[in-house]
Amino acid sequence: MEKAEVASRKGKRTEIEKSVLVIGGGIAGIQASLDLADKGVIVHLVEKEPSLGGRMAQLDKTFPTNDCSICILAPKMADCYGHPNINVMTCSEVVGIEGSKGNFSVQVLKKARFVDENLCTGCGECLEKCPTKGIQNKWEQGLATRRAIYIPYMQAVPRAAIIDPENCRFLKEGKCGVCKKVCKREAVDYDMKDAILEFDVGAVVVATGFDVWDPTSSTEYGYGKNPNVFTAMEYERIINAAGPTHGHIQRRSDGSEPKSIAFIQCVGSRNIQTGHPYCCSVCCMHSTKEAMLATEHIEGIRSTIFYKDMRACAKGFNEYVERAKNDYKVQYINSDATVQGSTSAGNPIVSYDVGGKSQQKEFDMVVLATTLVPSEKNKALAKALGIELDEFNFFKVRDHVFDPVDSTRPGVYLAGYCAGPVDIPESVAMGSAAAAKAMEDLMERKVYA
Amino acid sequence: MSEEKLRVGVFICHCGTNIGGFVDVPAVVEYAKTLPDVAFATGNLYTCAEDGLSNIRNSIKENNLNRVVVAACTPRTHAPLFQSTCEDAGLNKYLFTFVNIREQCSWVHMKEKENATEKAKELIRMGVSRARLLQAQEEVQIDVIPSALVIGGGVAGMSAAISLADQGFPVRLVEKQDTLGGFVRNLGYVWQERQEALTALKTMIDRVKSHRNITLHLGSTVVSADGFIGNYEIVIETKGKQKRDNVGVIVVATGALEYIPEGLYGYELYDNVVTLTEFEILAKNKKLPKMSSIAFIQCVGSRGQDKSYCSRICCNVTLKNAMNLADNWQNMLGLEEGGKAAEGVSVEKAVPDEIAERRRGRRGRREGGAEEAAPGSGPKLDIAVFNRDVMSYGVEHELMFNKTREKKVRFIRYTPQNLPKVSLENEKLTIDYWHDTLQLQRKMTVDMVVLATPLVAQPDAKEISKMLKVPLGQDGFFLEAHVKLRPVDFATDGIYVCGTCKGPADIPEAVEQGLAAASRAAIPLARGYVQPESLVAFVDSDVCSGCGTCIEVCPYNAIRKTENGLAEVTIAACKGCGNCGATCPENAILMNHFTDNQLLAEARAALEEVKE
Amino acid sequence: MSEFQPKIIVFLCNWCSYAGADLAGVSRYQYPTNIRTVRVMCSTRVSPDIVLELLKDGADGVMVSGCHPGDCHYINGNYYTQKRVELAQRLLKMTGLEPERMRLDWISASEGEKFAHVVQEFVTKLKELGPTPVKKDEKLVTRLQAAIDASRYFRLKVLTGKEINLTTKGNVYAETLKIESLEEIMAQAAEDEYRNSLILQLTHSKPCSVKELAKEIGEPTDKTLEHVVSLRAKNMLALDHIEGSTPKYKAILIGGA
Repeated sequence: MEKAEVASRKGKRTEIEKSVLVIGGGIAGIQASLDLADKGVIVHLVEKEPSLGGRMAQLDKTFPTNDCSICILAPKMADCYGHPNINVMTCSEVVGIEGSKGNFSVQVLKKARFVDENLCTGCGECLEKCPTKGIQNKWEQGLATRRAIYIPYMQAVPRAAIIDPENCRFLKEGKCGVCKKVCKREAVDYDMKDAILEFDVGAVVVATGFDVWDPTSSTEYGYGKNPNVFTAMEYERIINAAGPTHGHIQRRSDGSEPKSIAFIQCVGSRNIQTGHPYCCSVCCMHSTKEAMLATEHIEGIRSTIFYKDMRACAKGFNEYVERAKNDYKVQYINSDATVQGSTSAGNPIVSYDVGGKSQQKEFDMVVLATTLVPSEKNKALAKALGIELDEFNFFKVRDHVFDPVDSTRPGVYLAGYCAGPVDIPESVAMGSAAAAKAMEDLMERKVYA
Repeated sequence: MSEEKLRVGVFICHCGTNIGGFVDVPAVVEYAKTLPDVAFATGNLYTCAEDGLSNIRNSIKENNLNRVVVAACTPRTHAPLFQSTCEDAGLNKYLFTFVNIREQCSWVHMKEKENATEKAKELIRMGVSRARLLQAQEEVQIDVIPSALVIGGGVAGMSAAISLADQGFPVRLVEKQDTLGGFVRNLGYVWQERQEALTALKTMIDRVKSHRNITLHLGSTVVSADGFIGNYEIVIETKGKQKRDNVGVIVVATGALEYIPEGLYGYELYDNVVTLTEFEILAKNKKLPKMSSIAFIQCVGSRGQDKSYCSRICCNVTLKNAMNLADNWQNMLGLEEGGKAAEGVSVEKAVPDEIAERRRGRRGRREGGAEEAAPGSGPKLDIAVFNRDVMSYGVEHELMFNKTREKKVRFIRYTPQNLPKVSLENEKLTIDYWHDTLQLQRKMTVDMVVLATPLVAQPDAKEISKMLKVPLGQDGFFLEAHVKLRPVDFATDGIYVCGTCKGPADIPEAVEQGLAAASRAAIPLARGYVQPESLVAFVDSDVCSGCGTCIEVCPYNAIRKTENGLAEVTIAACKGCGNCGATCPENAILMNHFTDNQLLAEARAALEEVKE
Repeated sequence: MSEFQPKIIVFLCNWCSYAGADLAGVSRYQYPTNIRTVRVMCSTRVSPDIVLELLKDGADGVMVSGCHPGDCHYINGNYYTQKRVELAQRLLKMTGLEPERMRLDWISASEGEKFAHVVQEFVTKLKELGPTPVKKDEKLVTRLQAAIDASRYFRLKVLTGKEINLTTKGNVYAETLKIESLEEIMAQAAEDEYRNSLILQLTHSKPCSVKELAKEIGEPTDKTLEHVVSLRAKNMLALDHIEGSTPKYKAILIGGA
């Protein structure tokens, strides 16, 4: 590993008093970075994926306004990447930190992209020529494939290609090398190495977001067995106009349009057995949204939501659910539900109860609102940063009531889902709140420890 | 203004083969040279690369270019880059225009090179026509007064004030009551940490009072605030005396009130039917009546029963209180060891002063009577929560929900079609309800009914909305700029909002929002100036007839009437959307950099015949 | 014989539709080469007269595209875009030019494919309609000019500007207008102003009698007389001379002929 001195993108050395580390380039991290950068602070934004955007970039529309997710996110991503005060490091992770509040020394592992993102224009010619196809595209929730060299997604920022070293013929066997030949900008560099970057900052903001839990182990939902059972995130990619099916809702088994969809809430959550006894706070709303969107995509489709408690409890949310009931004819059934087998046509059969009586109903498609769990990398990051996790791998807050963005280590702040289940507006507010705290440290005026 | 000879430079990008492979760029370059006023035209392989940029800089200087057209990818990526390249060469960035011949030409016409080339030529002809009419613009830098006004001294307001002060800015904090703390002052214990509310607040209140950057005005209101971002003239009134001041930004944190469930569930009709807050006041003053059973009813007056919204926090406040009751926290039930009511727990007044005052303040009413605790009452408290859904979202709330159920608190679901009914039978409070699982109508006698009602907007929200010209949304709560991505900004620059005045929120959410508002408000303060892009509207006062229609359509309150009744644009607030320009009945408004003439010239150039 | 290729001007709002068009490019959705795009910051910028001017100048089709209602970057701009395009459509119908030559679309930044489809659809439609008749029909040009003048006139602009507030927030007396009532008012006002402007256009260079004007406009003579009287009262039309027993009127030009 080479040690490399990092500089901000303009080539200036950073000063402790004026710089902050933000870990995570989703909406919370982006908001924190922009707020700080606009105040003249140098922000080192570390993102583990090859593009900014986080989960919000994967969604189609967002509740309660049903506006297009990437449309409102993309300008912020562009602002972030182009901001003279923000040093965006993608494919990077924080591996160590030393020091104390106001004065931290950070180590970041910047993994090799094998493409120089300063030269790459995102033209995509290399993608077309790469001979290694058929690799599961994780970003598309496995619903599409990609090649060994790929651009994360259409609106990725930076819009630059990346080579997957585990599947690239040249990197593994020294064969091929087509992408390099084809690239007119000479942006492909097979010799790129991982690097450790070190720099000093005055504060740290952690905004590592969430992962979608895989419900295969909860066999009562049939995920993985029945092809027409989807997770909500898979559904989001399906209804997305820029997604793997160009926005057409279609069943996995036969590609046909469903005429009925069941949404099952709390799959894996509010459940001690799965280890997630908590509530993810956003699923009632996102399933309502998804049911509404189904009606917009397919005329006459019948959507049913099986729920424990309909947690539509922020501004405009209750009215949103009422609209779903009245205008979109979404049916709400207050019951636990499971998938018990399927018909010969591959239609999942949902089992539930009403008034104490057990019922069964056949649906063309089932969408599971699975638990959204804190990022699996939180454990390692917590260790590296010297902050505590709670039993569910959320980062612990110093005081739930009055210090909701402080971690257990002074000078390290939290924003977004990594500190507890929150929706987009709250993530944005927390991003700004953490930025305020970081700024206070930089101004060295904090009175209490 | 002197009429200098136009000398337009056109730079056409190949973008490797992205454009060059589908459009005959050399032919387009030659064509560009034939256009009127074009003094220089060239092709670049990659205009955005360092050599491409130097080419632009050098060509501007060598050819005395005074307009620049770059034909390449989409302006949405590299426009700022090329603009600053022009400025580097001494050319005002507003004399630059971008033509998209990649995303909107070569990439979408990959199989029609001839047509794509013709289209590219026309697009460049359009760009040159536009460029000819561009005018240099000077961006105005407007100084920002480096101080803030925070209206409201509750949890959100205090959080915002402390953070702004810690970020180094002087803050005026104006609170209409004589004490700080807002709604939280009413509460007994704060969430599951079971800290007493007043104690919990003390740290924050002390910080506000002792902070050298915070000037506190208690018992005061803001009676006027005029100006725009960076420059507000405010007047604070304290006990009849007025004080003028100037601030750069304003944060609104005026809080909310509890809904009064008039006519619902026997409120003010029967003794011992109280709201959640009244319950907390009774509990903390140890004035709860002798009880063996208590029922909470959720969603009273909300979720369609009067207000349409869910008030978010009430379920969790009920859970907190249910837990405290189940544990008889701090002996709030006034019981002896073994669970008997302590002797001689007398209730001096029928109802504690605080509650009597609140009720009197609303409508001079008789004071309700609380029963005296008699010795020998039953040991265990039966707690029931009538709910439509339990909104215990997140980790802590959901775990608390589980705990309360472990403590045998009963959760009974009801639907809006089948509301529980509260009545007095044999002088005992009785609840008549439908039990969904047993499918039976049942009755329950209780000693107290607690009604969980929503938070509602303060009545003075309307005045503040008018004073600051910021909008109220549904139900009288303040409306933020964008529900998802700008939760603590108003659409009007320089004014921010946080806490329950925006919508129901619990304490941690109010703190987060207060901090968030402080972060946002500190941006213009830290920068010291605002420099809006010159894409703004301009009113020709010779033509304006003062009809005011422009003011009606502007979403940013960026136009105001001058003393002579004519419209004037506040540059700092204008975003250049063009609504006023297109609306003005006298055609008196010009949109800088996107004038009618410029748009028409650009479009008309497409309709000319292509000269070969 | 080469196929007719319509020339289409497309106004795209910077935040949504322009980005959507860019996405079509990034995704390589192919579409016909007939469109020429003009970027505006908000679709609301495009006033009715701009669209009508371009149709008069020979565009085979004009399209305006903005964010979906509710998503406008400038909060409410696109609601006004809708009103403006409605007015332009009303006036366009009166001129006799095919109303399908103007269209309004809502295209978001993620609807690249939709953009390509919309363009294809528009091109196909315009090929069916054929080249714009404007190049061969001077009277149509006069009528379009009248439509442009009408759209720029105080009354129609103020109504378009106040429509939304009048039907939602109310006037100074806190009375809201029903949408149907406002539609009626708009329809009547548009017709009146168009006909007034047409009379002024027709009498611009040549004095005309009421009968001649009525024939050109295509309305009963007594209606035309009403317009003439009102224009005279506003000092926009004057009696030029009398031929036999028929008065002939001419438009009063400000600042010389």
